[in-house]
Amino acid sequence: MPREVPAAERVVAATLDNGLRVLLLEDHRSPIVSVQVWYRVGSRDEQRGATGIAHFLEHMMFKGTPTRGPKQFARLVEENGGQDNAFTSQDVTSYFVDIAADKLDLVIELEADRMQNLLLDPKEIASEREVVIEERRTRTEDDPGGFLGEEVNSIAFKAHPYGYPIIGWMEDIKRITPAEIRAFYKTYYVPNNALVVAVGAFEAPAVLGKIRRSFGRIPRGKTPPPVLAVEPPQNGERRVTVRKEAELPIVYLGWHVPNQRSNDAPALEVLSTILSGGRASRLYRDLVYQRQLALEAGGDYSYFSIDPNLFWFWATPMPGQTSETLETELSKHMERLKTEPVTDEELARAKNQIESAFVFQDDSVHRRAALLARFELIGGYELKDSFITKIRAVTAADLTRVAGAWFAPEGKSVGVLLPKAR
Amino acid sequence: MTARADRCRGAARAVVGLVGVLVSGPAFGAPLAHREVLPNGIVLLVAERPAVPIVAVRVLTRAGAAFDPDDRAGLANLTGALLTRGTAKRTGPEVDSAIEFVGGSLEATAGRDSLTVALSVQKKDLTLGLDLVSEVILSPTFPPAEVTRKVSEIQAAIKRSEEDPGTVASRALSRLVYPGHPYGVPVEGTRESVARLTRDDVVTFYARHARPDTTVVAVVGAVTVDEARREITARFGSWARPAGAAPSITPATAPPSPREETVKRELTQSTIMLGRRAIRQTEPEYFPLSVASYVLGGGSVSRLYARVREEAGLAYAIYSWVSPARYGAAFAVSAQTRTAEVPKVVVMIREELARMTREPVAERELALAKQYLIGSFPFRLETSGKVADFLVAVEDQGLGLDYADRYKEQIGRVTARDVQRVAAQFFPPESFSLVIVGDTK
Repeated sequence: MPREVPAAERVVAATLDNGLRVLLLEDHRSPIVSVQVWYRVGSRDEQRGATGIAHFLEHMMFKGTPTRGPKQFARLVEENGGQDNAFTSQDVTSYFVDIAADKLDLVIELEADRMQNLLLDPKEIASEREVVIEERRTRTEDDPGGFLGEEVNSIAFKAHPYGYPIIGWMEDIKRITPAEIRAFYKTYYVPNNALVVAVGAFEAPAVLGKIRRSFGRIPRGKTPPPVLAVEPPQNGERRVTVRKEAELPIVYLGWHVPNQRSNDAPALEVLSTILSGGRASRLYRDLVYQRQLALEAGGDYSYFSIDPNLFWFWATPMPGQTSETLETELSKHMERLKTEPVTDEELARAKNQIESAFVFQDDSVHRRAALLARFELIGGYELKDSFITKIRAVTAADLTRVAGAWFAPEGKSVGVLLPKAR
Repeated sequence: MTARADRCRGAARAVVGLVGVLVSGPAFGAPLAHREVLPNGIVLLVAERPAVPIVAVRVLTRAGAAFDPDDRAGLANLTGALLTRGTAKRTGPEVDSAIEFVGGSLEATAGRDSLTVALSVQKKDLTLGLDLVSEVILSPTFPPAEVTRKVSEIQAAIKRSEEDPGTVASRALSRLVYPGHPYGVPVEGTRESVARLTRDDVVTFYARHARPDTTVVAVVGAVTVDEARREITARFGSWARPAGAAPSITPATAPPSPREETVKRELTQSTIMLGRRAIRQTEPEYFPLSVASYVLGGGSVSRLYARVREEAGLAYAIYSWVSPARYGAAFAVSAQTRTAEVPKVVVMIREELARMTREPVAERELALAKQYLIGSFPFRLETSGKVADFLVAVEDQGLGLDYADRYKEQIGRVTARDVQRVAAQFFPPESFSLVIVGDTK
C-alpha cells in the first residue's frame, strides 16, 4: 500500500552535474506517466514595471525551438495521445505532460529542448501578448473575485513582490519587450533552477539515464538572483473598496502569516481546515448553514509558499446581507479562535481530513508527482513523510496560540467588492 | 472564491469536462467492471483497484431535471441538494460531521438526466460510508426547515451566477437549441421557479423517480466483487421495485430554426457561443462527429485555436465540443474576445465551420485527432472516482460496458470522408444559434 511506504524509500532522487534535480517514482498500476518540469521562478522574481513576465514566458514556452517550430510541442504531445499544460504561480512555473508511458522519451526530449533552445520570435511574442491580455480580461478585469483578490494583494504587500498580480498589470503586459523576456528566460530557465519529476509506469534507472543524456547536455547557468525583499510588519489596517459589475458583494480579509519554515505552519494548516474544510467546518456551519448570512465563506492558507504569505478569509453575503455584516462575522470567528480552544472533535476531524486528502492523492500519477514537487521546492521531497506527523502533533492550545500571534487587528488587509448598479 | 494564484495557459483543456467522460476512448481490452442485476433491478458494477486503499461509490438514479414538471423547473436539483440534509437516522449536520470526521466526502447532485450520490472514503471507513449512502438514498426526510434554507441558497446561487458570462451564455444557448424541451431549461431552474417549489413537490418527485429499476450502483477501488455485492445487497436489497413502468420523456425532436440573442453586461470582453442539435453516442455518426469537433476546436492545435488564438491573438479560450445526453445532444463552439472584435471572431468561427463542410480534413489533422481521442483515454480512467463516474454514465446512457472498446474501434475507423460527411450535416454555419454576452451597443 503506497502510503505505508515512506516516500523517501521509493523515490529515486538525483542531482545532475549541471544542477538539475530529478525525482522519479515508479507506479505501475496503469501504463501512463506524468512528467513535470518545475522552474523555481514565478511572479515573486519580478520587478515593478515588468510584472507578468514569468507568466508571459510560460505562454512562449509553447512557441517553439529551432528544431521544433511554433505549435510543434502541442502537436507532438497530442498526436501521441498526451495532454500538456502549464501554470505560473507566485513561486513557480510548472509544465506537465500526462501521456502513455511508452512516450516518456519523447517528452524528455521536448522538455530538454525548450529548457535551452526557446525561439522567442518577436512576431510570436506580439500575437501572444494579445492572448495574455485576453486572459487577463477573463480572469481579472471581468471576474469580480479575481479583481478583488488582486486589489487586496497589492495593498497587503508594500515591499515583497507577492503584491504583484501573477498575470501582471495590464500596462506591463502591454509594455514588456522581447529582449526582457529573453533575458528572463536566460536567467531563470537553467538546469540548476529546475526540477524534473516523473511518476508512472517506467523503470527509474533507465529513465534517469535518459534524463542524464538529454538534460545533462545543458550547461549549468549562473545561480539566479535571490529575492531579497522581506515584507515589513504591517502597522495598521489597510482597506480597499471597489465597485464592479457583479450580483453580490464579496469580502476578503488577509493577514500576514509565516510559511512552512515556521513551527506554526502545521497549526495554521489545521486552523484553515477547521475554518473551511467542508460543511462541518466553522465558517460554513455558522455563516452559511445556521445563520444563512453567507452564500459562501471560507479561509485559505498556502502552506507551500516560499516566502511568508497571507492567510485569507472570504465570504459572499446572501442577498439582503451586507459586506459589513460578513466582515464583522469573519473577524469574530478569528477573535474566538484566540480565546476559546477548538473542540477535540473539530481538531480530530481536521487532522483526519488533511491525512485522508494525502491518501486520495495517491490515486493519480499527476497528483503524486505534483505533491513530490511541492515538498521538494520547500526543502526536500522527504518532508512529505514528516508532514502528517507534524499535523498530528498540533494541539488545541497551538491553535489558540497561533491565532493570537498572527491575527492582530492592525495586521489586517480588507477588500470589499460592491456590485455596481446596472 | 479563494485568491488562487495559478494561471493556466489553456482554458480549453479545463473545459473538456463539459464534454463529459463519454467523449473519451477505451481502456486496454480487459473488462472494465463486473456487472450484475440485483433482484430488485439495481444494476451493480464493481471494479477492483486494490493498489490505493480508497473506495469510490456512485449511486445514480434516473431522477434528473429532464423530469421536472413544466412549472417546477429546478425540482430535481433541489431534491438532490436535500438528500444529504436529513435522514431517518441523522440530521443534515450529523451527516456532514460523520463523513468529514473520517476525511471522506458525500455529495448528492442532480444533472439533466439523473441524480447521483457520490461517496469517496478510505477503505477502512467503507462501512460508515455505505451506511450514509444508503440512508441518504432510502430514507431522506426532507426536513421543512432544510427545504426553506436550500431554496434561498439556490436562489442566491442563481443570482450570483448571473455575473458569470459563460454561465449566462450557456443558459441562453440551451434555451435556443432546445426550445420546448427540458434541456432548454436550466437544471437549477430560475429564481422564480425555485420560489414556487414546496416540500410536497420534493417528496412526490423523489418517490416517483427514485426507484431500484432505474438505479445504477458502481463500487470502485480497494474492494472485491463479493464484498461489494454483499454490502450493497445488505443495504439496498430490500428496496422494493414499484409496480408501474419507470417514467420516461420524449427525446428532443427536430431541431428548431436558428436564432440569435445578445445579453448586455458591462464587461471588457464578450462571450460568444454558437450551438445546434447533434447526436448521441448510440448513433454511428457520433464518432466521426467527435473527430470533426476535435479537428475544429478540440485542443491546442485545432483549426480555431490556431487561427483565432495563435495567429490573430483574438482569444485566450476558444473550443468546440459535443454534449450528448440521454434525451438529446448538442454541438457548440465558444470563444471570449474583446468586445470590439466580436464580429471578426464570429466570422472566423463561421468560416471554419463552413470549411469543414467544403473540403476534407488533412490526413495529419485526422490522425492527430484520432490519436489524441484514443491515446488520452487511460487518463480518463485514472482514478477510482473517474472509473466510477464512467461506469454509471455508460450504464445509464445505455452504451454497454464494452463502450470503451467500441469507442476506440469506431474512432480508429473514421476517415476524412466521414468527417466531411458529418460536417456537411452538422456544421453548416447558418444552422447554428448564436449567443453573445457582453457590452453590446
